[in-house]
Amino acid sequence: MSRTNTNPVSHPFLLLLVLLAHTAMLLLVLLSFGLTVEVLKLACVVLISDFVGAIVLQFVAQESCTVDTVLLLVLGMSTIYQSCFGGLEFALKHFVFGIAAFLMCQISYVLVRNPYRAEKLKPLWYGSFFALVIAIFFLTGSRGIWIDLGFITIQPSEFVKPVFVLICASSIRTQLRKSEIGGWHFVPDNLMLLFCTAVIAGLQWYSRDLGSLPTFAAAAGCALLLRFMYLREKISVRLTVVLIIGAVFVVLTAWHLAPAYVQDRLHTDIWSDMSGSGYQQVKALTAIAEGGWFGKGAGNGTLVNVAASRTDIVFSTICEEWGLFTAIMTVVLVLFLPAALLTVPPRSYYHSGLALGVAAMFMVQMTLNIFGSCNLIPFTGVTIPFISQGGSSMLASGIMAGFLKAAQAPVLTGRSAAQLRKGGKA
Amino acid sequence: MDLTALFEKYPYLREALTAFAVIFVDFCALIILIAAGRERRRGDRLWAREGRGYMLAMGTTFFPLGAAEILIGRHPAADIRFDDNEISRFHALLTLSNGQWTIEDIGAQNGILVNGRRITQPRILRQNDQIQIGKRRLTVVRGTGKGVTA
Amino acid sequence: MPRITPQTPGQPRIIQVPPLDVSPPRSMRRAGRGTALLLAAFLLALVYLIYVLVTRSAFYMAKSGQTGYGRVTDRNGDVLFDGTKPMSEYEAGHFADVGNLIGDTSGQMSNTVVSRNIELLANYSFLYGKNSGTVTLQTTISHKATRACYQALGAKNGTVTAYNWKTGEMLVCMSKPCVDPALGYDNIDSMPSGSLLCKAFSPTVPGSTQKVSTLIAAYEQNGVEAVNALQFTCEGSWVNASGGKINCHNAYGHGTQTLYEAFANSCNPYFAQLVQSRLMPLSAVIGTYTKMGYSVNGQKAEPLVMDGLTIPAASTVLTDSNTFETQWGCLGQGKTVVSPYQLMLWQGAIANGSGSAVQPYILAAHTDIENRVTQLGRTTRTGQFFSEAAAQGVRDVETDNAEKHYYVSLGEYRCGVKSGTAQIRQEGREYENSLLTGFCLDDDCPVAFCVLIEERTGNDISNAQLAKVLLDALRSENITKTAPPAASAAGG
Repeated sequence: MSRTNTNPVSHPFLLLLVLLAHTAMLLLVLLSFGLTVEVLKLACVVLISDFVGAIVLQFVAQESCTVDTVLLLVLGMSTIYQSCFGGLEFALKHFVFGIAAFLMCQISYVLVRNPYRAEKLKPLWYGSFFALVIAIFFLTGSRGIWIDLGFITIQPSEFVKPVFVLICASSIRTQLRKSEIGGWHFVPDNLMLLFCTAVIAGLQWYSRDLGSLPTFAAAAGCALLLRFMYLREKISVRLTVVLIIGAVFVVLTAWHLAPAYVQDRLHTDIWSDMSGSGYQQVKALTAIAEGGWFGKGAGNGTLVNVAASRTDIVFSTICEEWGLFTAIMTVVLVLFLPAALLTVPPRSYYHSGLALGVAAMFMVQMTLNIFGSCNLIPFTGVTIPFISQGGSSMLASGIMAGFLKAAQAPVLTGRSAAQLRKGGKA
Repeated sequence: MDLTALFEKYPYLREALTAFAVIFVDFCALIILIAAGRERRRGDRLWAREGRGYMLAMGTTFFPLGAAEILIGRHPAADIRFDDNEISRFHALLTLSNGQWTIEDIGAQNGILVNGRRITQPRILRQNDQIQIGKRRLTVVRGTGKGVTA
Repeated sequence: MPRITPQTPGQPRIIQVPPLDVSPPRSMRRAGRGTALLLAAFLLALVYLIYVLVTRSAFYMAKSGQTGYGRVTDRNGDVLFDGTKPMSEYEAGHFADVGNLIGDTSGQMSNTVVSRNIELLANYSFLYGKNSGTVTLQTTISHKATRACYQALGAKNGTVTAYNWKTGEMLVCMSKPCVDPALGYDNIDSMPSGSLLCKAFSPTVPGSTQKVSTLIAAYEQNGVEAVNALQFTCEGSWVNASGGKINCHNAYGHGTQTLYEAFANSCNPYFAQLVQSRLMPLSAVIGTYTKMGYSVNGQKAEPLVMDGLTIPAASTVLTDSNTFETQWGCLGQGKTVVSPYQLMLWQGAIANGSGSAVQPYILAAHTDIENRVTQLGRTTRTGQFFSEAAAQGVRDVETDNAEKHYYVSLGEYRCGVKSGTAQIRQEGREYENSLLTGFCLDDDCPVAFCVLIEERTGNDISNAQLAKVLLDALRSENITKTAPPAASAAGG
């Protein structure tokens, strides 16, 4: 890696933008809390990490820095939020996981930047998938979803997400490889995807936590649709109708056949049970109402005393202190990550599958979190990528951001982009 | 100096600052994304270098090779589509890997001829190679323009 | 810029070389298109979320008790509930007649104006936050008329409900005994039963006012002319086809009567014979009742709703036209129950002669913390309860009844009425409730009403006298003028 300042985006101007954006947020924090040691600590950490991050990006030659730069922006903002909830206290753990997520993004990028190699490694992805599933099945015990390692708790179900996205993506070559049993033609990879989806559904059923099922279902649905589109110019109206009717049928059947504890969730009137099962949502909604457009001011929130205020109902916590406007803009900021795909289209089938899978995962997760806590859909314990606290979710989201980066800057050779650039001809 | 008093002194200062800060943050993200448009042009140049600037020519019609996998066939979903009966729905697959374009028969009824010879194995393509698919004759040419080093 | 490539030996062809194009093919844009679709859907949903949050935020605040509450006023700005200061600061008994209709924020009553519309009472706006002003919720109620009825009842309990059948404004909805929210709920155990409940919304035995429904069924089935010409004989009591004995309140009998006479006499044997006759197949009666909103034989009927207040639907059991129970049910006894509100609603549909009523409403206007006034009440119509012909037929019968038999009490109004005496057996006690349901056709007093006096005895105020008190009070209120916006009416 030579010092070749050839990165098109990560020039000082964008670094300056990120720094300025975080400075504007930090100025608010400064005016809210006054000039204290904690404020200085937060400001220094956020700005220095921006600076270091940008320097690193500047020196490590790579083709795309869009995802990295937006990620820097999001992570810094998230650290500021998490540090201010209910009074200023630097969220060290969150920050450390943020850095880890950033690193994970780079690692996963290196792993999947070559779409051929990434797809060749599919047996490995299947392996890790089933390893994780078995880990969840046997290790989490008493139907919990956590593995406690003493110093840290790991949530393996979060790590299933990026692995599942890797399984979802598929190239046209794979789609053309058909098998036949008894006159019935099928694509083994598609069958495998369906099987994995069923396994996930079964596992979630078993562990009595159907919360993130829609996330996986959305990724699998997008993947299947994309695979379907490989072999079709467009989807006819009739097929669309059939698909929609099918989806509605599946949802309705699931709705009716859902076990009792899910039915409870589906039919809870939170306002008739304000201190019981509706407690979190009532508090969350009231907090949003109290916050109004621009919030009560950083550190002035009371929602922080409610369980999961930093994870499942983090949207409301931001609303209360910073206002609905800020919270919405933050959500939009996270959306810029998958939106990067719109400016630079992917160059291979496998990468486009990855990108769409990540986009689906991110958006469904945010939908479940935000709309669930606002009582528009059943409330489930999922996180907003990069904004919610939680190490496993943070790392998994970082890995998925790496997939987006891979779609932006694919490498089709064994050699690095820098070598290619130097050598010119192959 | 007590900074926190400022918010109490000026009633809408906090709201205004909050709005400004958060709009600015999103604006930054937007700028970054627009800057990604530059990345795209750069990506194109790099792609051209990676893919040797190859394109397919058929008479005066030119087909760009802008993705790692290019599907040729009669199927409507094919990237390069010929609606001829001699051409299979999924006929040929062009693949870019390690700086080489490779052509491969993916179940063509009438096969693929490269420089007059029917191929059975994936074959690496070079400039001016003649590909015959059905009645169609395609020539591997090299486009000209920015980003392509001679 | 096309240029000529150097020719390769053996292939003497000249190919025009195009400018380099490396744009990705269509197939690579699918993922982008999918993402764009997801993004668009998500952003749309976000817009919807903002809309819901902003519009519902007052409800969240009010429901979780995080904000102060404003005032509820009557049509003239008289305060009926005050969340801004202790209600005990008003003169004693100020709220004693509207407590169980308007309610308060104590949470003791659920089916009240305040409880059902709590979000309109929150001193809150999404922009300005909580307690940044005082909201006023103006109702269409006339406190003066309500109080007049309350006082006219004297020591008796009862309920009076009235609305403007032309505009839908709810004018009086009084139920006695009534809790006084200003006094609090410390003595809740010693309050008379029914204090926390507006009985105008509770189904009760309708007595002979039910004959209106039965008559409507007859009209629907046979036409007005044919039914008006019917004659049956009453000899004080009548034995039906299954041996059941229907008694008349006149032990000597009414003799042979026409429908108009029997309606005025409220003659049970006449109507029992009508129900049993070939003219009234049971299915037709059930059909008409169901259309009117009854829950017949346990069939589900939608409860009535007025600005969030719910009123259970009337219900009855009709099995066989020849049995005592069914005939008794059609006469307003036995298993038949109807709320005074619904009786009033039907009178509204009769008064306008169309068979569909104007939907009552109780919320007139909302003044938010920025003093912006929103008109809430709108004149809308209910569904068709019965045919126009039946409505006009019953209107004629009722006006005839009022003209001939209520001249003394209601003579100065152009009215139509039907009285009723409901025999109640409850907790081992037997007593009679006196009901009067009807309408006034005068242009300055277009009111449909229902009054009910519980356990009335001969010395008490009569139902017609109570109705006169009601109409007098309403006419003096100038009810034909729509209530003025409450904007600053609640200033003091």
